Amino acid sequence: MKLLTKSTFYFLLLSLLAMVAGGALLYFTIKKVIYKQIDASLITEKTIIEDQLKQTDTIPDFEANFGHQIEVKLLNYHVKNYQSIKDTDIYDPDSDSFIPYRYIYSKGNNVEKKGFIITIYQTLSEKNELLQDISLYLFFLFFSLLLISILINYLIARKLWKPFYDSVRIAGKFDIQADKPLDLPETDIVEFNQLNVVFDNMTRKMRYDYLNLKEFSENASHEIQTPLAVIRSKADLLMQQKNLNKDSINLVKSINEATTKLLKLNQGLLLISKIENQVFHEKKMVSLKRIAEAGLDNYKEIMQLKKIKVEFDSTDDAMVEMNEVLADVLISNLLSNAVRFNVDGGFIKCQIDATFFTITNSGFPMTINPEDLFKRFHKSSEQSQSVGLGLSIVKKISESYGMSITYTCHDSIHKIELNYRQHGQYTGIS
Amino acid sequence: MKLLIVEDDRSLSRSIYDYLKLEGHICEVALNLSDAKNKAGVNKYDCIILDIGLPDGNGLDLIKEMKSNRITGGILILSAKSSLDDKLTGLKIGADDYLTKPFHFAELNARINSIHRRNNFLGMNEIVFNEIKINTDDNQVHVNDKLIILTKKEYDLLLFFMANRNRIITKESIVEHLWGDNVILTDSFDFVYTHVKNLRKKIVSAEGRNYIKCIYGFGYKFIDS
Repeated sequence: MKLLTKSTFYFLLLSLLAMVAGGALLYFTIKKVIYKQIDASLITEKTIIEDQLKQTDTIPDFEANFGHQIEVKLLNYHVKNYQSIKDTDIYDPDSDSFIPYRYIYSKGNNVEKKGFIITIYQTLSEKNELLQDISLYLFFLFFSLLLISILINYLIARKLWKPFYDSVRIAGKFDIQADKPLDLPETDIVEFNQLNVVFDNMTRKMRYDYLNLKEFSENASHEIQTPLAVIRSKADLLMQQKNLNKDSINLVKSINEATTKLLKLNQGLLLISKIENQVFHEKKMVSLKRIAEAGLDNYKEIMQLKKIKVEFDSTDDAMVEMNEVLADVLISNLLSNAVRFNVDGGFIKCQIDATFFTITNSGFPMTINPEDLFKRFHKSSEQSQSVGLGLSIVKKISESYGMSITYTCHDSIHKIELNYRQHGQYTGIS
Repeated sequence: MKLLIVEDDRSLSRSIYDYLKLEGHICEVALNLSDAKNKAGVNKYDCIILDIGLPDGNGLDLIKEMKSNRITGGILILSAKSSLDDKLTGLKIGADDYLTKPFHFAELNARINSIHRRNNFLGMNEIVFNEIKINTDDNQVHVNDKLIILTKKEYDLLLFFMANRNRIITKESIVEHLWGDNVILTDSFDFVYTHVKNLRKKIVSAEGRNYIKCIYGFGYKFIDS
């Protein structure tokens, strides 16, 4: 739940509780006041009649009006003084309903020690109506006050929290690989400024570490190239020497193999770091179809040798705006994988349509999750020759152009699907 | 051929020097840009093997200077950076070829030969070795004046062997030469074997001699005799 919604919700909830409680209290207070007033007027009226009855024994004339009745009964014996005020309902034949009344019932004696009974009825219906009206107005008043205060509360909170949301939005867009630091706007709220400073320091540190690491890995890869070249050249020279015995040959051979592997590894890592560093920013329209054709042609002899059947089926030229070198690396890596991990007498099917570039090939059944092969140094088998970077390079390239790629394997049929139409700007970002 | 090796890493320049000398070239070494400029100004080289990242400047400056002083000679750029920019700039301002470190000597040799051929036999690109005649213009190969039909890869392989006669060529270097080094195709030695076998068969069937010798553990050697 959003902060604003939540605070509004709680405000509403508490206000409603307060309103109900306050309303009830007010209702009963008013009711009590009204009763008190009625009772007081009943007593006053009774006292007047009583006074009159005490001096004379005639019943005074009363103006009978609706809802107000006075009954006086004279007795010829002495009664005990008594007075009570109660509620009652009296049947009204006109409206065929019971109407609430308040009445005073009083017994007293005059100077001749003869008793009388005074009963005064006062209808409550008018007062109840009054009470209802007051309640209704109060309700409307409360309700509109509530609405206004919710609105004000919402607006204030929104204004107060705006810098926070701004910061969150900017921080959310933070990209460690972009070459600008997080730029959070200054606010006049101390807490948010503190938060921004924390954010700022954190991302600054992150960027610093990231750049350091990136620079380190790129430099390391670069610097390794020259010593590797030296090792390879020395091994090459050693190899050319005459009269090498079998042991020496095996030694040089091992050195050579290890150097080649190290070299491939280094080249792969260097390529990945270059993609990340957006070295390949030049781009033009390239046809994946044409690249795939050239790639398949490159492996023609190998495929003939392995008796691999090739099917090429394209309904689209697959024109994509990207870097030519990367496009080449992307497609030829996919093709070389399809050739390398194929079986003798297998097949390779390359299909290109308006959205997908699909390579399906026979191979060996896989025990691991095919998607894991996109990670660095993940290999399907312990093939000592493979360095395990090919598919992570493929992934890196496709991601950097916003293309999505999936790898599925059913039985021993491998399928890689590249959606080359989800084509965005070259970002170099994974 | 007279060659100038411009490379600041002593060990590497020494290796290149040794190897190219074995090939029968006359070699000189410059360890920095100013030395290279001096040497290129005084002597005439058939080809300059030029490292770009030098301690006292960018190797590309040498190319610019040579071009403005109209000094002829092939230029092969050698760089640890396989950056495309360097490559394009280098080729644009007048370098003949570009090779990324680390390289196989066989590859370096083939590139130098190819530059030399292009610069010296304009239009008449023919390599003749005993009974084998290769025309690099129309990519035709004759053995004993009999045309033999080679696939593209076999043709490339033959040229590669020609450039590295009497030298051991590793299978790795053949793979890289034939399929490029963007592709990690390390288990393709069998294919090298097949290509070599086919090439040998085609030459022998035209009554050529079997020049390609298998060297245990390493690869192959194209021998003269």
